[in-house]
Amino acid sequence: MRRSTAAAVGTLTGAALILGVRLSVTPPDAPVATAPVAQEQEEVAEEPEAGGTAEPTEGASKGASKGADKDDDKKDDEKAEEEETGLKAGTYKGKAVQNQYGTVQVTIKVSGGKITAANATAPTDGFSGTINPNAVKTLAAATLKSQSAEVDAVSGATFTSQSYVASLQAALDKAGA
Amino acid sequence: MRHVEQVMGTVVSIELADDLPAPRQQELIDATCTWLHEVDARFSTYKDDSEVCRFRDGTLRLEDASADLRLVLDRCADLWRDTDGYFDAYAGGRLDPSGYVKGWSVEVASQRLTAAGSTRHYIGAGGDIRMRGTGPTGGPWRVGVRHPWEADKLSWVLGVTDGAVATSGTYERGAHVFDPRTGKAASGLRSVTVVGPDLALADAYATAALAMGEAGLTWLAKKTDEGYESAAVTDDGRAFTSAGLPILS
Repeated sequence: MRRSTAAAVGTLTGAALILGVRLSVTPPDAPVATAPVAQEQEEVAEEPEAGGTAEPTEGASKGASKGADKDDDKKDDEKAEEEETGLKAGTYKGKAVQNQYGTVQVTIKVSGGKITAANATAPTDGFSGTINPNAVKTLAAATLKSQSAEVDAVSGATFTSQSYVASLQAALDKAGA
Repeated sequence: MRHVEQVMGTVVSIELADDLPAPRQQELIDATCTWLHEVDARFSTYKDDSEVCRFRDGTLRLEDASADLRLVLDRCADLWRDTDGYFDAYAGGRLDPSGYVKGWSVEVASQRLTAAGSTRHYIGAGGDIRMRGTGPTGGPWRVGVRHPWEADKLSWVLGVTDGAVATSGTYERGAHVFDPRTGKAASGLRSVTVVGPDLALADAYATAALAMGEAGLTWLAKKTDEGYESAAVTDDGRAFTSAGLPILS
């Protein structure tokens, strides 16, 4: 939910304001306007359940402030250099989140102070490996027979009082009467 | 003892296979028919003074409706959610819960028969059947599934003891099932049969799958987890069955 709000605001300022409120109990360790990534990382760490309710793919596509919001402590290939706008270059992986379809993880790349790539993946290991096959389960092809057999009752598309007389069920009822 | 009754716009066939005295069996059959006619009077959408019509017209408030009507409305709402909107009691614009009422009334009739001492019987209403106990030969009831093109032939013979078999198809009353999303007549599937514990659900699932078209094959497969097995035939004659369908032949 907090992620969607941030996305709607759509600016670093918006995200920073939310974070400012959130982090009011702990002293900010960096200026809000210059290092949003670092602060947002803390937000994720504080609110692990937020990742579970957010829509990661949507988040990744909404823009810089939203994407940066996905960052957490798991940083890969982070470079130490500081860009002018405050976004550190590097590749950031979001928290792996489980939903009903499996596990989704968001990755963003930051270069030149901007998000240059964002994507969400469904890892093939673990939970998703057992869920996904069910999603494509379907009925198996069978032979359509045309047979006559002794039966107690006949199931078929609902007949009217008029069409009943011509039905197999009517013949059965007549024979059993 | 067997009996055939015209009610609810169709024909209901009843067979009791119990070893009960004939007068007792006749009483049970009479009570069953009385209930079905009562349901018809209260739930018919063709009778202006039925409870359903009075509720629909606003002259009967929900809080004044019978427990039966409220249950039917609840279940229709559940089914609307459960079928992604493909089972829709408001499909025609006005409330018509008939698609649930028929199966439910037969389900209740079978429960009442059981409570009254009949442990082996079937009630078939217009092609939708609820069975209890074993059939006349001591084995499962043998239920034929009508061939979707040849009216005098069967596609499958199923063996069912306690359970329901419901079939929805486009071959009997023409294109009477509609896809609520497109408003067009359902196409893709010619016939859908669902076997499971509750006739009202089996019937609703069969109708919903028919409305979905071929996508219904995948949807039906998910229902096997809830104990509902199925068989379906496409418009071009391909047949499909779920793994647990109780096929005898």
